[in-house]
Amino acid sequence: MPDLGRAALVVTLGLALYALVAGAWAASKRRRRLAQSAQNALLAAFATSLVAGAVLAVALVRRDYSFVYVWQFTSSELPMRYTISSFWGGQAGSLLFWLVLLCGYSAAAILLNRRSSRDLLAWTVPVLAAVAVFFSLLLVAVASPFVTQVAPLDGRGLNPSLQNPYMLVHPIFLYLGYVGLTVPFAFAMGALLSRRTDERWIVVTRRTTLFAWTALGLGQLLGSKWAYEEVGWGGFYAWDPVENAALMPWLAATAYLHSVMVQEKRGMLRVWNVLLVTLAFALSIFGTFLTRSGILSSIHSFTQSSIGAWFLGFLAVIVAGSLVLVFSRLPLLRARTRLESLVSREATFLYNNLLLVALCLTVLWGVVYPILSEAARGEGANLGAGYYNFFLRAFGLPLLLLMGIGPLVAWRRASLRSLGKTFLWPLGVGTVVGVALLALGAGSSIPGLVAYTFSAFVLTSIVLEFARGTRARKALGDPTWAQALGRLIGRNRRRYGGYLVHASIVMLAIGIAGSSAYDSVGEGRVARGDTISVSGYRLQYRALGERVGPNATELRAVFGVERDGDELGTVAAGKNAYTA
Amino acid sequence: MIALSVAAVLAVFLLYASIAGGGTPALAPSELDGRTDKVSLGGKVVGPIRGDQYVRGLRFRLRDISGGSPETVEVLYRGSVSDQFRLGRDVRVEGSLGNGVFVAVPGSLITKCPSKYAPEKS
Repeated sequence: MPDLGRAALVVTLGLALYALVAGAWAASKRRRRLAQSAQNALLAAFATSLVAGAVLAVALVRRDYSFVYVWQFTSSELPMRYTISSFWGGQAGSLLFWLVLLCGYSAAAILLNRRSSRDLLAWTVPVLAAVAVFFSLLLVAVASPFVTQVAPLDGRGLNPSLQNPYMLVHPIFLYLGYVGLTVPFAFAMGALLSRRTDERWIVVTRRTTLFAWTALGLGQLLGSKWAYEEVGWGGFYAWDPVENAALMPWLAATAYLHSVMVQEKRGMLRVWNVLLVTLAFALSIFGTFLTRSGILSSIHSFTQSSIGAWFLGFLAVIVAGSLVLVFSRLPLLRARTRLESLVSREATFLYNNLLLVALCLTVLWGVVYPILSEAARGEGANLGAGYYNFFLRAFGLPLLLLMGIGPLVAWRRASLRSLGKTFLWPLGVGTVVGVALLALGAGSSIPGLVAYTFSAFVLTSIVLEFARGTRARKALGDPTWAQALGRLIGRNRRRYGGYLVHASIVMLAIGIAGSSAYDSVGEGRVARGDTISVSGYRLQYRALGERVGPNATELRAVFGVERDGDELGTVAAGKNAYTA
Repeated sequence: MIALSVAAVLAVFLLYASIAGGGTPALAPSELDGRTDKVSLGGKVVGPIRGDQYVRGLRFRLRDISGGSPETVEVLYRGSVSDQFRLGRDVRVEGSLGNGVFVAVPGSLITKCPSKYAPEKS
């Protein structure tokens, strides 16, 4: 069994190397048959990486402790679902998981585009193959999940804090996002290498990028929920380096998703887009470097090993290689048009991009600050939550406002009079909400008040867009309102899908603003039957329960919650003592 | 236009940097050496752990994680601790030294994952 896994990895490495070398040769000499052969090699690499993954999965399910990896992360008391999730619980397994996803994404990219974008794909395949070579080389030479030993009686068990339902799915989504960013990056590089620098590479990778972006975002939400339940501070985000490692590529990818629309419609920002997609991909590799190298102290201390140097080297190659490539192709990347007005759709996209990238880079600065400080002054130092919160407000609040403005401004140039008409209602509703909240005492936090006012503004503008569009369709002859709305969305899914995403980001902003600007904390000591009051809520300590689960003894203190005499339900505070 | 926007963003950054100054120094117990400004202290928990976390505060000592120095410092901490907190674990707290005791900011304690779950260093 372990031999099969090892062999599958070596074959994957060989296939990826072949796809890299043969693919590059074929693309530069325009050999169509050889290019197809390189594509087929990557498809085959997906199959062999799946075999390697299956070997590890079977070993985990059988709890075969002769695999060092299985012994390290599982035990006989560990429930089956967490035994399976140990696949990505450790370093070698998560690298293998990464490789399988990468090969899967590559195979999908090849199968979807081999007929329609042959010349673009010719140089994209070697780029995808190069990334696959890196990961399979690590798995073969540095961190193999198939190291064996004389089987001990029992395994060491999975880290208790990973024994949480959210940890079953959080890494899957995060990795789908991280790895998915390779595809637009590879196509961008493929476009530069093949000198096909038109908008084609953006169009063909749009769905993959959206999928990866969604997965990365969902992964972070699930991770926040995990942190809220599992890590002892009761928060959902703490600007920890490892959390930032996931946020940074997401911010860069968000900027990219917006700026490519300017290139699609107006042929501008071409250099910028290539740089952004490189930034997003490089940050996903940088994130892995951060978590794997142990260079920063984080509550999420993953396994620390020498593998960090490999990632740093790979990162250097990516950044240097893509910069050289962009500069050598600069003449091809000239914009077709110029910015005509500072009040236009493309200008608002530009503001949005500057803010997102600024936020991303300030987070990056905060993350590397301890390293730089150590190097420059010989003394480590951390930038605290205050630093990050300041920039989240300075850049995040204008971004929130822009979400309501941008989509309603016309391309090329917009007249201020038409803007006044468009924004009459949103401005009115925003002002009314702001004043009402101020009267209700929300002025205790100015950033919170601003966030809520902006949120009301954006939500109104979105609702108004749906209402206007539906009314227009009804006037054009759609028989019912429902049909008019359905057709409106169906005819322009990108636009109305975008509004929906904006609306949900506003919901997120409302939640974040509420919990960070208006939270109240009360501490007290209670005996059974006692109550404590926290800002209008009364919590009564009702019962203490103990439940012996399969992997932990769960102690729970149950509190009844009421406000103004109304029973609102119960909450439970708890502590787990893990056996497995 | 773009240059202007970049300049504006930089201005915000500099504004912050000038107001807030540098970050919080991150030190090990042996590096504390009597300094009393606010620092972030990282170390291994050595016993005994006394007191309670809410009313009078938890008292324990921290030693260098590297094990390079025998020096320890007493820490007084109030607030929540994670399930992972116990003797021998690596933790980080923010606070400052006063009268020989490191008084931690309430709620600032974070616990790192136990090394049992990391492979031995080769």
